[in-house]
Amino acid sequence: MGVRYTLDELIVFRAAQEIRDGEIVVIGQGIPMAAGVLARKTHAPNSLIVTEAGLVGIDPFKVPLHIADTSCTRGYSYGCDMFDIFTTLVNRGYVDVAFLGVGQIDKYGNVNSSYIGNPEDYEMRLTGAGGAPEFAGHSKRSVYTMSGGEFVEKLDYFTTPGYVDGGHSRYEAGMPEGSGPSALITTKGVFKFDEQTKEMYLAGIHPGATVEEIREQVPWDLKLADPLEVTRLPSEEEVRIIRTFAPDISVGRSLYVELLTRRVLDVLSKAAERKEGVQT
Amino acid sequence: MYEGGSRSEGAVKKFMDQDKRMSGAEAVARFVNDGESFVFANCLTGMPLALVHDLIRSGKKNLMLFQQGGIEEVDLLISAGSIDRLAVAYNFRMGGKRVTPPLDRALKEGRLQVEELTNFTLLAMMKAGAMGYPFMPVLRGMQVTDVVKKQGFLGRECFQEVKDPFGGEDVLVVKGYSPDFALMHVQRADKAGNGQLWGAMINSKWAALAPERIILSAEEIVDTDVILSAPHLTIAPAHKVCAVVHCPWGAHPSELAGFYDYDMVFRALYFASLNSPEAMKGWMDEWIHGVTDRKGYLERYAGKFGKEALEAIKAKPFKSVPADYGYSFAPNWDEKGYSDKFGMNLDELAQFMEEKGILREG
Repeated sequence: MGVRYTLDELIVFRAAQEIRDGEIVVIGQGIPMAAGVLARKTHAPNSLIVTEAGLVGIDPFKVPLHIADTSCTRGYSYGCDMFDIFTTLVNRGYVDVAFLGVGQIDKYGNVNSSYIGNPEDYEMRLTGAGGAPEFAGHSKRSVYTMSGGEFVEKLDYFTTPGYVDGGHSRYEAGMPEGSGPSALITTKGVFKFDEQTKEMYLAGIHPGATVEEIREQVPWDLKLADPLEVTRLPSEEEVRIIRTFAPDISVGRSLYVELLTRRVLDVLSKAAERKEGVQT
Repeated sequence: MYEGGSRSEGAVKKFMDQDKRMSGAEAVARFVNDGESFVFANCLTGMPLALVHDLIRSGKKNLMLFQQGGIEEVDLLISAGSIDRLAVAYNFRMGGKRVTPPLDRALKEGRLQVEELTNFTLLAMMKAGAMGYPFMPVLRGMQVTDVVKKQGFLGRECFQEVKDPFGGEDVLVVKGYSPDFALMHVQRADKAGNGQLWGAMINSKWAALAPERIILSAEEIVDTDVILSAPHLTIAPAHKVCAVVHCPWGAHPSELAGFYDYDMVFRALYFASLNSPEAMKGWMDEWIHGVTDRKGYLERYAGKFGKEALEAIKAKPFKSVPADYGYSFAPNWDEKGYSDKFGMNLDELAQFMEEKGILREG
């Protein structure tokens, strides 16, 4: 029997391959952080993980709830602040890769993490921009991961610039020449961007996924790389690293909520039992 | 709220009382007025949640919040009717499409106006305000996004493009803002309000220095000698701080370096309340309106989860090596009253000055 893995673990594993040794990487919470840590524990031990909280060179021991929590701040080499990160690192061009999760993405790699629904009457507000626009705007490359999001023809809200209107438009808007999204990893495959038109195409598929089902998710006429890469599966050791570091991510969002709910009920009922015990 | 630019001397209020200790309830009663603007000088971590509860209990309203990023406080303040305007970069969202949190409900019902910003642009507004600058350049390219294109309640008092006077290219700038007050939680402070914070610094320095005044809560009140031995840790200087609230567990359920982890079980209960106004009211009745201060909150917590629940999230030590601020500390005059620098004692110096004719008759 081969290695047993979840789709979220596969995204983490495949995204980690986008980090090269020695790179400075800014990372958001969740899947991107798990990918960054996996890369550091495997092929890129000298990469430097940075978060917008002003933390440089972090070595989190478990997957953080957010970019500044208790797992990030045990031993890091440079403590500055958010303003320093965006100016002295990002704006000065020191960041090689930005690793970000995606809610809604269009064919030029522009991203929405603000609102879903008709712009005149939004259905829901997502987290908001956070650090994504400047990170993706000014890092040399950005790598997106998408677990629950969607491809759209037009974003409900344009939060984060990818290649804007394609072609040279990103650079005409003032973002550094040659920068931009380099890959999107979803539960089904790997997407990249055409060098000239900057349109997103399918570069590879995960084992078990089909081109047809991917095309159904994509509202434009998706072009395919020839040949299509087939995603290498993680080794048992790599899955072990991911699951040990980020069990919250391995199980996926809904099972995570289920486990957490179970834990809360357990704590409350035990406390209630103890209280009864004290009273009787 | 003061908006950017320089100002005449004397317009800035200094808070130089030697002892500003008071309860959180007194602090918000005295230093918060309806309709004012404020900012949290923490982001995500070490949030001043005890002060948020005090603010909610005070019933102050029509406040405007500059929110860098957080988990609980925006939904709480909206549910309580404390804020009606929100300039926001990031707000944690739990539960995906199945959950409609108070923020979404308030937007739908028109009870809240928003201005969408990015982490960097919001902090740049604070930093410009802190420095007394009318505006601040921000990173290029953002003008293509809806964050800049779609105006919220701040309208054009937010982003503008100006010509770089040196290079001639268009530069996107944000306006400098000085909110009326900040709420801030730190590890320790002296009674005059020198607040010391360490860990992830995020927005703290600039969000503390931007506003007119800081309402500060601290896990520990320490002797001023402690402050003097580590001035690099002072992030909230006493002249900006109007109130000091001693408040152990004042950031719970968020985390604070050196004190405690975030409390995921408690947070899960809170998250479970977000989806309905009734559940949210129930949570707030239990944890905010049902107690008078953080002490009462902690007693309620121990009653519900058991005393050991808080013990389990207490911090283990991970000590920073202390900085040594030492020099020889050689005084001008040694124990015999002799100055090695001048080669004489104090009487001889007086004689010397006499001879040179610089002493005047009194």
